[in-house]
Amino acid sequence: MIEVQNLEKHYLVAEKEAGIKGSLQSFFKRQTKTVKAVDGVSFQIASGEMVGFLGANGAGKTTTLKMLSGLLHPSAGVARVAGFVPFERRSSFLKSITLIMGQKQQLMWDLPALDSFLVNQAIYEISDSDYQATMREFTELLELEGVLKKQVRKLSLGERMKCELAAALLHRPKVLFLDEPTIGLDVNMQVKIREFIREYNQRFNATVILTSHYMADVTALCKRIIVVDKGKIIFDGDFSGLLETASPIKIIGLQLERQLSATDLQSYGTLSSLEGLNATFRVARSEVSQRSAKMLSELPIADITIEDPPIEEIIGQLFSRAEVRA
Amino acid sequence: MIRKAKALFTAWLSHMTIYRAEIIIWMLAGMLPLIMMTVWIGKAQAEGGSTGGFSSSQFAAYFLAAWMSGQMTVAWVAWDMSFAVRQGTFSVKLLRPINPFWEYFMQHVTERFVRYPFVFLVVVVGVLLVPGTVLVKQLEHVVVYFFAIILAFIIRFLIAYCIGLACFWLENATALDELYFVLSIMLAGTFAPLEFYPAWLRGLLEYLPFPYIIYYPAQILTGQLDWTQMARVLAVQLLWVGVFFVVYQIMWRLGRKQYGAVGA
Ligand SMILES: Nc1ncnc2c1ncn2[C@@H]1O[C@H](COP(=O)(O)OP(=O)(O)OP(=O)(O)O)[C@@H](O)[C@H]1O
Ligand SMILES: [Mg+2]
Repeated sequence: MIEVQNLEKHYLVAEKEAGIKGSLQSFFKRQTKTVKAVDGVSFQIASGEMVGFLGANGAGKTTTLKMLSGLLHPSAGVARVAGFVPFERRSSFLKSITLIMGQKQQLMWDLPALDSFLVNQAIYEISDSDYQATMREFTELLELEGVLKKQVRKLSLGERMKCELAAALLHRPKVLFLDEPTIGLDVNMQVKIREFIREYNQRFNATVILTSHYMADVTALCKRIIVVDKGKIIFDGDFSGLLETASPIKIIGLQLERQLSATDLQSYGTLSSLEGLNATFRVARSEVSQRSAKMLSELPIADITIEDPPIEEIIGQLFSRAEVRA
Repeated sequence: MIRKAKALFTAWLSHMTIYRAEIIIWMLAGMLPLIMMTVWIGKAQAEGGSTGGFSSSQFAAYFLAAWMSGQMTVAWVAWDMSFAVRQGTFSVKLLRPINPFWEYFMQHVTERFVRYPFVFLVVVVGVLLVPGTVLVKQLEHVVVYFFAIILAFIIRFLIAYCIGLACFWLENATALDELYFVLSIMLAGTFAPLEFYPAWLRGLLEYLPFPYIIYYPAQILTGQLDWTQMARVLAVQLLWVGVFFVVYQIMWRLGRKQYGAVGA
């Protein structure tokens, strides 16, 4: 569904030193610098797959999505989405994709969302019966009842985001590029949007690329993740694979039956915290079963949990390792 | 296509009615020909009834026609695009299966329908205020004017659109837009009928699009041109439409590669 080979995007950025001197200098000789926002990225995504794009601020995620949706002209490499070259902006290509960027409005500010939907219906040439069916589904899934007829500028951020989402999916695209779709929303609303995306993916077998700084979005929706750093892919694979390759440790949490001292616990592994009856250890992945067995047999334990470190931490480690290699 | 046009029309019409206050302010800003009309009529009266062969009522007819032509060809698309490109909303337009050109075009066409009743009213009042003013001598001229003003609008829209496309290269195209605005005010016939311009400038203006946007349509409406002259004006207008359409196409092709899709 999506094929990307050695995709690159270079931005030419004017550099100017602050102050009058800098202005004069740049007037006579423009200093420019090339920023490689995306630097030779290749991947393939099958139809119906949901892939999470992870990476720090400025890693090149949005730039990649903009190239895949035909907004930006790639500096090098090729991208094919649903069999089309995105930059050509073929009508049938644009009808089969959508790009949702934060809270970028495609809704007309001073009118009710419904009016914008009708414009989209016409522009995307959606038949009345399809339009009604989709609207019924979306109204139910996103709880849009009563929201659609209010002026868009009077909606809350969450309500507006739901309408944006509905407007962006009204033509039932097969490929979804979601750039931080839950940014700025409360946890409840994040969960709702996430559920909606999952539902949409299942109903229409849609292919989804999702970027988010809320790891929960990615862990909840995507089996496969691609981690980008400074325009390059540093990991592409299953979540479980990421945990194994990137994080050699697991976290064992104990709830003790009675108070123990740090010295009592030291021999069981690297003690990372001890608060009252709760203790956590960091233990090498390969030693988890042996160590936990030892704890269970020797310590007064009320409860035990074995978990992966938070995904943020794993990604962080991945970045610092990429740093070392570079 | 008709369906799309209809939907855009409906949406923009409700948008425009919200902004009717702004629309009236823009119109007042376009009042210059009416102000110049009083200036020239004053001059004619001071000089014993006519100046440079124009009587008060002839000035009135010319400037009312010029004002109406200016009003019917207004295009603010350069400003809109410049804003949209910087805000990142242009990207939203680019994602839709319709060329943004048509979206802006429809927006402008729709606005004419809100604007025209006001324009018509002002022209009627103007004609009544200056005794002896004959705006239209023959009905045929209205028909030719209708086509001429449509072509004039398309020329002006295309120029504005090309200026707007310049923001793919420049960070901000409003300076360019202002330059064009000043040039068009001076060269299109807003200050005076071109008869009052120095001969060398008039000769030069024939090779520029400006007089074909305001001066010539006004001349057609007020019946100052014969049939061959009117045919020539329409032909030259068509030519300019062609020229700017090609320029637009080229700028669109090249500019899209430059487009940075900033914002978001
Ligand atoms: N239009 C532009 N002109 C110049 N530089 C740009 C432009 N757009 C992006 N960049 C630069 O390219 C790099 C990648 O930006 P991009 O928006 O793709 O990052 P991102 O991974 O989406 O980050 P974030 O998580 O903050 O959204 C950044 O260094 C950014 O400053
Ligand atoms: Mg981004």
